[in-house]
Amino acid sequence: MKQIWIAVGLLLAILAGTLAHSFYLSGFTGELTALLEQAEERAEAGDWAAASEYNRKAHQVWDEKEIYLYLLLRHQDADEIYMSFCEVAEFLECEEGGEYSAANAKLIAQLKLLTEAEQLTLKNIL
Amino acid sequence: MVIAFVRTVILYLFIIAGIRLMGKRQVGELEPSELVLALIIADLAAVPMQDFGIPLLSGIIPILTLLCITMIISVLSMKSVKFRVLICGRPSIIVENGKLHQREMAKNRFTVDELMEELRMKGITDISTVKYAILETNGQISVLPFSDQKPPIAKDMAVVPEEAGLPLVIINDGRVLDHNLKTRGYDQVWLSKQLKSHGVKKPEEVYLLTADELGRTYFAPKEAVK
Repeated sequence: MKQIWIAVGLLLAILAGTLAHSFYLSGFTGELTALLEQAEERAEAGDWAAASEYNRKAHQVWDEKEIYLYLLLRHQDADEIYMSFCEVAEFLECEEGGEYSAANAKLIAQLKLLTEAEQLTLKNIL
Repeated sequence: MVIAFVRTVILYLFIIAGIRLMGKRQVGELEPSELVLALIIADLAAVPMQDFGIPLLSGIIPILTLLCITMIISVLSMKSVKFRVLICGRPSIIVENGKLHQREMAKNRFTVDELMEELRMKGITDISTVKYAILETNGQISVLPFSDQKPPIAKDMAVVPEEAGLPLVIINDGRVLDHNLKTRGYDQVWLSKQLKSHGVKKPEEVYLLTADELGRTYFAPKEAVK
């Protein structure tokens, strides 16, 4: 009977761990999205330096969790988000308003999709 | 990751149900839950092994989940007969007192040709000599002939044969297995005598030497390799 409790315990631990991951990822991408939206607001106001700073901060937050992200997410998804960060940074540096806005919206959408893909919903299970 | 976990649980149970519905013949020598585990575990391991873009945990979490569920199912099968019947099914009697149970055969999609083949493999050519033929939950067929068709055993003939026990290998391809030699209560002196009696000088010249509990030996010298 001990074996069954070990197996059940392990199953519950896996379920708890995976739920914790999806909960954490949701908060993490929410934080990034907030920073990126603030950057966009600053860019729309013409404060490119502040916008760059917000974007840099968001990129730094992403980089700090690189190992965790590569451990749990598809590497292709993580790579695409990294490339989008670089693209957004470049448009900010060139002060290309329209292009920056489109690239930033794409980055925010990628982060949203990343979180959505890890949520325990019927849509994802099916 | 939680999606991988939930999908693994759903697919595992779904495939077990599928295997059960397919009938006993599809199972082979494994129980349905074991067969499903064997079928999908290799695939799960192979995907992250080949595709470096997939995190290793994507393979490890479903495998761990499967092992846990298999453990739970096997313990529950051991504890509860009803659960065991649900997961593994019941054995089906397809021949009883020499008569075919056609409905049971149809239920298990078991043809006459297959039954005849199984019986022939067990040395039986006449169905009327079979008391019971049972299709077991692992897909194998157990055949029990009528008592008058069974070969006699020593007890039937009132003979008491000597109990030779398990023969142990003393020399395996030229190597002396000291542990087995000691287990049989022999020593190097006994071994030397054995070698001498068979006309060899060294253990290296022996391919196989066994000794049973009555002290009987089997000797096979090494053949010269061309």
